[in-house]
Amino acid sequence: MIPVYSLGLLGAFASAGIAFYALMRETDGLHRLLLTDLVEVVTLAFIALLGTDLAEALILPGLVVGVSELIALSEIFRIKEGYTRPPADTLQIEVMNTAPPILAALLVIYGIILSGFSGGAVAGLGVIFYFLSRDPGERFELIETASGYSWVLWIIAFFIFMVFPQHWFFAVMLAGSAILVKVMAKMSLIGTMRGDPDA
Amino acid sequence: MPDIGGSDLFVLAFGDILHYFNPYTATLFLLALLFTGLVIASRPERQLDIAFGGDAYYAKMTTVSEMRFRRFMAIACGLASMGAMASGDIFNFTLFVSLVGITNVGIVSAVRIRHVLNAAYEYGIVAMVATLPLFGGAALILGTTGTLSIQALAAGGFAVPLVGKALLALGVIGEGMAPFYAAKAEMFRAPGAPYVIMCSLSSLLIFLRVVEIVITI
Repeated sequence: MIPVYSLGLLGAFASAGIAFYALMRETDGLHRLLLTDLVEVVTLAFIALLGTDLAEALILPGLVVGVSELIALSEIFRIKEGYTRPPADTLQIEVMNTAPPILAALLVIYGIILSGFSGGAVAGLGVIFYFLSRDPGERFELIETASGYSWVLWIIAFFIFMVFPQHWFFAVMLAGSAILVKVMAKMSLIGTMRGDPDA
Repeated sequence: MPDIGGSDLFVLAFGDILHYFNPYTATLFLLALLFTGLVIASRPERQLDIAFGGDAYYAKMTTVSEMRFRRFMAIACGLASMGAMASGDIFNFTLFVSLVGITNVGIVSAVRIRHVLNAAYEYGIVAMVATLPLFGGAALILGTTGTLSIQALAAGGFAVPLVGKALLALGVIGEGMAPFYAAKAEMFRAPGAPYVIMCSLSSLLIFLRVVEIVITI
């Protein structure tokens, strides 16, 4: 256990050294922003090396901090450089017109089989892909409604855990399917993001 | 272990995660609270630039939307500093510190002036890179001792690695780097006085707190 941890630490420190060296050499603003993301990944590796449940719980806030700093910095960079043109409507690739329904269906079915958080992520990936390649239209209300109801189900499942612990299996199933829908709905919103003209 | 903070005034424990006040951190907390109140109550300064070679001057106006955003960021920064003062868990402390870093960037980045944005961008990169030693230090301390509670670590019996402490301090220095950009003055030539001072105060507070943590554990 300990030698593996020390070896991992050595690797992480080496990666950090490489990342810092690259950051020192690089002068272009955008590339430096991308390199900071490299540093963020090493940060997560430091936490992940612990390999405990607590580390798993600590990675999520670490990731959120990293992503929020990245978003804030890219927004500053965008305004600083004066990039205001919105991206083009959809991807103009021929295969994107035929493949998405099949691939999205496969991913969603596999996600439902997995269920829970990871299942939601897989199914959400399918829906993102579908929305990215198709014109999304106005499906936001439906997605938001489904997301809201699934959140309520999730909370109900938690109350069942606390108040009626003997029905834990029902609560697990409820929470598992609710978090599936919740994560999928949240991720699918990414697929519809193309930037507004007035953003 | 030396106890520089004094005896505990208040402890709120949620299992392993705890929040506590001793005379030292309570003073810092009250300072943050007071200044957050001042930020909420005060109005932004109106900066005047003298035009050389004449009697003329430019009056820089702060728009309402910019003022709102900066005030929100300053209040968030105050709340984050208060959290960092009250937290008794090293990882929560690092999260609050990185929140201070993000809000410090936010306070200055609302100003749509190119040299201010440039300085804010450079500082943001420093703050982002500093999360590596910050979280790395906390993870090292957790990895070698098995706990993150400052009180448990202060009680002794753990060999807290010096590298972990050094990384933690380095991370806090990086996140609280904002006032050192005052030496370049670009960042602080931005109009809107009370909000910019929040950067200095919050980084001073997190520096003082990390000194206490590093000496105590």
